[in-house]
Amino acid sequence: MSDFYFSNIVLIQSTFTVLLLALSIQIQFRMGVFSFAGAAFYGMGSYGTAIFVLHYGFDAISATAAIVAICAVTGYLLSLILQRLTGLYLAMATVAFVMIVTVVAHNGGELTGGSVGLFGVLTTPEISVPHLAVVCAVVVAAMIFSERGSMGRRIEAVREDPELASAMGINVARYRRMSFVISGVLGALGGALNILMMTAIAPENIGFPLIVLALTIIIVGGSRSWLGVLIGALIFTWLPVMLEQVGTYQSIVYGIIVAIAAIFMPGGITGVVTDLYRRRAARRDSAALEDEAEAERRADAADDEAAAELGAELAGTGAHSAPTGESR
Amino acid sequence: MSQLVIDALVLGSIYLLFCLGMSISWGTIDILNFAHGGIFMFSAFVASQIVSNVGLGLVTVCLISVVVGAALSAAIDVFAFQPILRRAKNQRTAELQILIGGIGIGTIPVAIVQFRTLSEPFGFLGSSYETSVYTLGGLRLTSTGLIVLGCALILTLAISFWLKNTSHGLALRAIGVDSETAELMGVKRRQLSLLTMAVSGGLAGLAGALLTYNLGAITAESGETLLIKAFAIIILGGVGSTGGAALGAMVLAFSEVLVLRYTGGGWVDAVGFGLILVVLLLRPQGIFGRKEVRRV
Repeated sequence: MSDFYFSNIVLIQSTFTVLLLALSIQIQFRMGVFSFAGAAFYGMGSYGTAIFVLHYGFDAISATAAIVAICAVTGYLLSLILQRLTGLYLAMATVAFVMIVTVVAHNGGELTGGSVGLFGVLTTPEISVPHLAVVCAVVVAAMIFSERGSMGRRIEAVREDPELASAMGINVARYRRMSFVISGVLGALGGALNILMMTAIAPENIGFPLIVLALTIIIVGGSRSWLGVLIGALIFTWLPVMLEQVGTYQSIVYGIIVAIAAIFMPGGITGVVTDLYRRRAARRDSAALEDEAEAERRADAADDEAAAELGAELAGTGAHSAPTGESR
Repeated sequence: MSQLVIDALVLGSIYLLFCLGMSISWGTIDILNFAHGGIFMFSAFVASQIVSNVGLGLVTVCLISVVVGAALSAAIDVFAFQPILRRAKNQRTAELQILIGGIGIGTIPVAIVQFRTLSEPFGFLGSSYETSVYTLGGLRLTSTGLIVLGCALILTLAISFWLKNTSHGLALRAIGVDSETAELMGVKRRQLSLLTMAVSGGLAGLAGALLTYNLGAITAESGETLLIKAFAIIILGGVGSTGGAALGAMVLAFSEVLVLRYTGGGWVDAVGFGLILVVLLLRPQGIFGRKEVRRV
């Protein structure tokens, strides 16, 4: 176990940070907000933490707390600016926001280290995997809470039918704004923890590739639940190692997987599993219904026979023509 | 200063050629094709592979690129976008799935070319075409720039004519307004969609070949930045408006050339991204766009 742990420590770390990144985007999808702002917050989280530690001498925890607060506020402001937009337009506006963060990182001069980026972010206390695990456990617990009970139903209503939701007294706009704030917190946490582990960040590590990575994870795993995101994060962090022979073809394989998932299984792996489960349950139900119908038919047939016999009897006594079972 | 204008016009024409295809498919059949950048780059790549073995002229290279682009784009329509449209519950989910599917498909050609070229730039090395430079009163204009300008002008007019004055164009615009009613009126949506995607891909191919000639070489990633810029141009001009796309391309090109002139290179890309935000906030339907009517 410990051998496995030490030889794969980088992968374990990135599983956690990638999970946070993907959750920061998935939480918005779950509320029906098609936004990629999480990728920008992840970039801001990485750069912000590095800047606080390197230029201002913050320790790990206060740097993380500061950048998480900044990103939450940025998320709120962004939600105010973008609140008129939905669908594709919102998606593209947030892509533009992600790209602007990247351009700023490229051109920030000494503050962001230009195209070289920032490196040597070493802090005390040192952040390690147990810290990460605790943070992720708390985040996942919050996600589980938000998917259950009345909270879960409200979020589902906001996603599936905003008009209906507001007719039921849910403040849809507030949920949408909150999704940006939560996305800011999760994205910044992911980015901050990432740089505290990896100690270096460059402009090519943030921006569009992060969007593609997060999308890949969410689409393949499933966008409805945190479990799908976890499955996706596990697959796409560990798959490259499992399939070493794929090597150079890796990104080709990824593209194909995303395309196939987007076309044929829009609910992702968890969606497919849920569908299968539901279909089987439905089959069980319909089988039960069929049994009932069969029993009814038999009862009917018995009635008919009885009626026919009665008819024959009546005919025998010279009464009206015999009623047959056919009329039923 | 006039040199600046010429540079901006050529750059704007490249943008225009690239985004015309995206604009017609988005404005009519509601497909925002994010694989457009991949098609653009991959057609130029195929042409460059052929031209490195056989020395061909500019027209042949462009034709190869157009054919490859049209074929790729039609294939993506048949194998990806139409299945998505058939399966999707409603238009909103279809839109998003098409965007995501397009991003996924778009990464495939980029990855293939990165693998084949080892991420080195590629160009039309074996081509028999040679650029000549004209100077007039201190102004520089290359023959490639002239061809790019001409192509952009002619194709914009041709496509504008196609959409406005032919029965195909009328049917396409009808789909853009209300696809169900259009189908009831006898518009063959599937066939027209295939045709539109093929035309759009052909334009991407042409833009790829011409940009490669103009710059000398492009890289596997060249399509990605252009994609987001094209999006900015289309929403600036208004979705589905050819004239709007032309104006948008020129506005973006002029702003970029000016930013490049006065600040140095780094901030150029921010112009397009900033433009997206500003336009979406101030005038979401674009300069010439019709007011978007959401169908529920």
